[in-house]
Amino acid sequence: MQSPSDKRLLYVWLALSAITLAQLALGSRGEAASLTPNAAITSSAVVMALIKVRFIIREFMEVRHAPALLCRLTDLWIALTGVSLLGSYFIGRMI
Amino acid sequence: MKTAASTASNPRAMARGHADDGRFVPGQPDMWAFVLFEALVFTSYFTVYVIRRTQSSDLFLQSQSHLDLRVGVFNTLVLLASSWFVARCVQAARERSFRAALNNAYLTMLFGFVFLVSKVIEWTTEIERGFSFTTDEFFSFYYFLTGIHFLHLLIGFVFLGVAVYQLQSPARRSQEMVETCATYWHTIDFLWVLIFALLYVMR
Repeated sequence: MQSPSDKRLLYVWLALSAITLAQLALGSRGEAASLTPNAAITSSAVVMALIKVRFIIREFMEVRHAPALLCRLTDLWIALTGVSLLGSYFIGRMI
Repeated sequence: MKTAASTASNPRAMARGHADDGRFVPGQPDMWAFVLFEALVFTSYFTVYVIRRTQSSDLFLQSQSHLDLRVGVFNTLVLLASSWFVARCVQAARERSFRAALNNAYLTMLFGFVFLVSKVIEWTTEIERGFSFTTDEFFSFYYFLTGIHFLHLLIGFVFLGVAVYQLQSPARRSQEMVETCATYWHTIDFLWVLIFALLYVMR
């Protein structure tokens, strides 16, 4: 008999695994031997990764039960990482 | 009334004897300071990697095509499973099901060990195919990022050992310490999630 908490953790793990398999499908697009730059694949991969990171932090690390300061700091780091990675990618391509 | 209801709906708060609005930091606050520091350090590594990548995109894509995406997916699924088990360990310890907590801690170690073995096999395979740290800039980043993550994972086993040691004896049990160890392990997991996206999937 699983507790509601166990079920919630199971659903989170299933969601994380499903997103990972979606990344497999995303990364498998095109010929592996001749990969070409693709902003859509890159953006999707980074956004999916950040969604997974937020799931892990909020659910597995229980930040959803934490004080507002910790919630905000972790969300701030996720946002900073997203802006930094996608910003570097798109600005770098223009230089 | 609102306060009491909030605490009652959060079994974790009840287990730790906290308080009023049912909210508190999971594990020791010092560990969270370390986690946020590490996260920022890795963000800087990732940013430098992406900038360098955009400046030599053909070389990076050519080298990336020599990695096996399926191995990266396998490693990610394994590490996500280990993170799930350590979350279950924390939950079981909170519910004072210490046998279940220990079993989940052992499963976390098992999946962590599978990740380590898989990573060593992947490195060995790449080196045998002629792709070493000095082959090109992509592989320098590949070995640096996966290597430093590997080191963090080894340290994670020390934390898991501490959690198991604590859970084995009623005299030593500390919910806060188990949560602290789990927090470190989850950090290894979410850093890998980003490494996987940047090394194996992005174009």
